[in-house]
Amino acid sequence: MSEGKTKSRFMSTKGARSVMTAFIGFVALFIIFSVLSSNFRTPANVQNLLRQIAPILIIGLGQGFVLLTGNIDLSIGSVVGMVCMTAGTLMTKGTNPLLAILLALSMGLLVGVLNGILVAKFKLPAFIGTLGTMTLARGIAQLVNNNRNTDFIGTEAQWFRDSFYYGDILKVYNAFWIGLILLTVFYFILSKTKYGRHVYAVGSNINAARLSGVKTDNIILSTYVVSSFCASMTGLMLLASAGMGTMDAGGSYEMYAVAACVIGGISTLGGSGILLGVLPGAAIWGILQNGLHFVGAPVALRNIVIGIIVILAVLLDIVRGPALSKKG
Amino acid sequence: MSDYLVEMKQINKAFSGVKALEDVDFNLKPGEVMALLGENGAGKSTLMKILSGVINRDSGTVKVFGKEVGDLNTKEAQKMGISIIHQELNMCPDLTIAENIFLGNEIVNKGLIDRNEMNQKTREFLGRLGLEIDPEILVGDLSVSVQQLVEIAKALSFDAKVVIMDEPTSALTSAEIERLFNIIQDMKDNGCGVVYISHRLEELAHITDRVTILRDGKFVIEGEFSDFTLDRIITNMVGREITEQFPRDPGVRQDIIFSVKNLSNGKRVKDVSFDLYAGEVLGIAGLMGAGRTETTRCIFGVEHLESGDIYLEGKKLSINGPSDAIAEGIVLIPEDRKKDGLATELSINDNLALPNLDLVSNKFGVINQNKEKNLVDSAIKNFNVKLASKADNASSLSGGNQQKIVIGKWLSRESKVIIFDEPTRGIDVGSKVEIYNLINELKKQGVGVLVVSSEMPEVMGISDRIIVMCDGKVTGEYLHDEATEDKIMADATAFEIKK
Ligand SMILES: Nc1ncnc2c1ncn2[C@@H]1O[C@H](COP(=O)(O)OP(=O)(O)OP(=O)(O)O)[C@@H](O)[C@H]1O
Ligand SMILES: [Mg+2]
Repeated sequence: MSEGKTKSRFMSTKGARSVMTAFIGFVALFIIFSVLSSNFRTPANVQNLLRQIAPILIIGLGQGFVLLTGNIDLSIGSVVGMVCMTAGTLMTKGTNPLLAILLALSMGLLVGVLNGILVAKFKLPAFIGTLGTMTLARGIAQLVNNNRNTDFIGTEAQWFRDSFYYGDILKVYNAFWIGLILLTVFYFILSKTKYGRHVYAVGSNINAARLSGVKTDNIILSTYVVSSFCASMTGLMLLASAGMGTMDAGGSYEMYAVAACVIGGISTLGGSGILLGVLPGAAIWGILQNGLHFVGAPVALRNIVIGIIVILAVLLDIVRGPALSKKG
Repeated sequence: MSDYLVEMKQINKAFSGVKALEDVDFNLKPGEVMALLGENGAGKSTLMKILSGVINRDSGTVKVFGKEVGDLNTKEAQKMGISIIHQELNMCPDLTIAENIFLGNEIVNKGLIDRNEMNQKTREFLGRLGLEIDPEILVGDLSVSVQQLVEIAKALSFDAKVVIMDEPTSALTSAEIERLFNIIQDMKDNGCGVVYISHRLEELAHITDRVTILRDGKFVIEGEFSDFTLDRIITNMVGREITEQFPRDPGVRQDIIFSVKNLSNGKRVKDVSFDLYAGEVLGIAGLMGAGRTETTRCIFGVEHLESGDIYLEGKKLSINGPSDAIAEGIVLIPEDRKKDGLATELSINDNLALPNLDLVSNKFGVINQNKEKNLVDSAIKNFNVKLASKADNASSLSGGNQQKIVIGKWLSRESKVIIFDEPTRGIDVGSKVEIYNLINELKKQGVGVLVVSSEMPEVMGISDRIIVMCDGKVTGEYLHDEATEDKIMADATAFEIKK
């Protein structure tokens, strides 16, 4: 009935239910793996698990922005590799780590701008446009160090490795903190600002949004920039973790990002879902990787399980939608 | 065989606890047109969706051709001979006209779709409605009025015994309406029953045999149309009397606030010029396809202009998109609510707030929730929108209430020029009067109001001045007191004379 002041935008959407479902799913998996494996339930592994979630969480946040407008960004996995290789190469060549980070980051952002222009201005279908830049960015990842992975990035960059990955605050690794901070900031932007409403409006009905004064092209472009920023952060995180740049870093991450979003209730059709859902979405992805490893399942099986979970999440979403309105 | 094609008894239906229909009775005889009337949100569409299997009832009995039926789905209803023209256009924009008409009933020849046959039949159906158009055009490229004709043609393609028309004429002009009425007459002669829902009460007299009136989800009265006067119908619908259908405050015309000079867009807009005075309502009359909607879209920056200038308060504007127009104080309330007016899968709240977020957010773009709530609540109150919760999706509203949102979202901000394109499409008599009063109010504040309307009584009733368009050009201009229906029709069809 009348929704009062207490019922916030958050609880009033269908997305909120998906976030809760995903969260409950995560807790259930956590309990199952804890029962099955004593190594899984150690504090050290829980710390590890959170850190493992971070890259997918971050890249998922960016993909979430793009999905909310009804588009998709396939290039982000390659951007991870490109940023990782670029920063890594520069560091091994003696560039100041901070400068290397900034340069690599700006290259990542450029890909985002390019995606935005292709999709928003030239009206390329998002799937095609970003498929192109996906190949392009991976090519650059291979090119920067002459088709070889980089050497160790050196002790001068130790602070970088600590701050992005190995260090911890309150026993939680920095990688996870970075993810949480980005999640909070982005969630605030999407739910509390004019810009955020415009993102949802574009995804829901781009014509109506434009006729309501929304600069739809700019909104679409900006979501691609956010997405490539998140991918770049993930790339830096992988570099910090490995201590060297690898050309195939971030392979398939664009799909893992979609998976995290969809499990968390962000519709690929645009306009509906809550960014908070990416956290349980990424967490389910991470716990399956980590937990299945501890119960001795081979990599192939992990992929199969994750695939099934994604399909179930989407089915659940579809079944819930129209069925509800038909019954009234 | 019973006397009735359809008998519905004690129908109940609630949406998330809110009653939309309460013990409603309804019946339909062969060879008659039953007008189903009521205010916005009275439950007309809901009742007909139950009959045609789109939604299921909570309780009550339904008999079709004398036989009791359980919950039908749309396909089963269609097979039984019930066909419905939905209020909200329900077509696939990326399919052709023919593909839409035969969707689910494709003509198959040796396992392959027979395109030629489908196109041929489509041409026939459309021809009956007086529409000569290539059946291979994509529906998404058609104007609302043509889409509505296609939707009608689709419903007629089934050979149905019961045809439900939920506001079939809301986007049509008089010529097409007349053809539709001829077709309805044919159907009556063939023993079909027609349920006719409309807020254009004037047109009822041409076809109606009986009326059923609902109010707030309840059955009010049923009877022979000849026993009703228009006033009696309105009183039963609204529950009170309405004295004046087109209240108009003559007001005082001030200076010219807005002009367009020689607008052309290379398509249907050809060299259009006119002035609009502050405190004036300028009506634009014309037939379907006259270029009126395109003109408004060019002004608002939705469509690209090839040549021509736009002046506001004497200043030449360069408008590159709706956001520029809005910033200058020009707003457009569009004709096609599903495509341009509403984001139906966003909440009612978000739809009302969308164009006004600049008014309720600080300089960092952070929305002040209290301000937003006040803005949204007052829009809902001013327009008397009938809703369960403003957090529900806009799609849960009845058609007329959706239209109120489309209008309401634009009137929270101060504008200099407001363009209404078919503003009262699907709105009930009572609410229409409220909108006309609101237009009078805007006039008093010195706003320039432009109203595109295909409803002749409306455009003549509320405009201070009327321009008529035909084939993309302005062909006539009249002051309120000079205008007659004949003069306007003559100008609206001026191109036929020239040829
Ligand atoms: N899917 C739905 N979910 C929630 N409420 C609904 C839904 N469909 C209809 N309603 C509500 O049921 C009531 C009746 O709606 P209905 O569409 O039948 O009205 P109507 O008489 O056709 O009005 P209009 O003249 O505006 O088309 C309205 O209050 C509407 O908000
Ligand atoms: Mg209706």
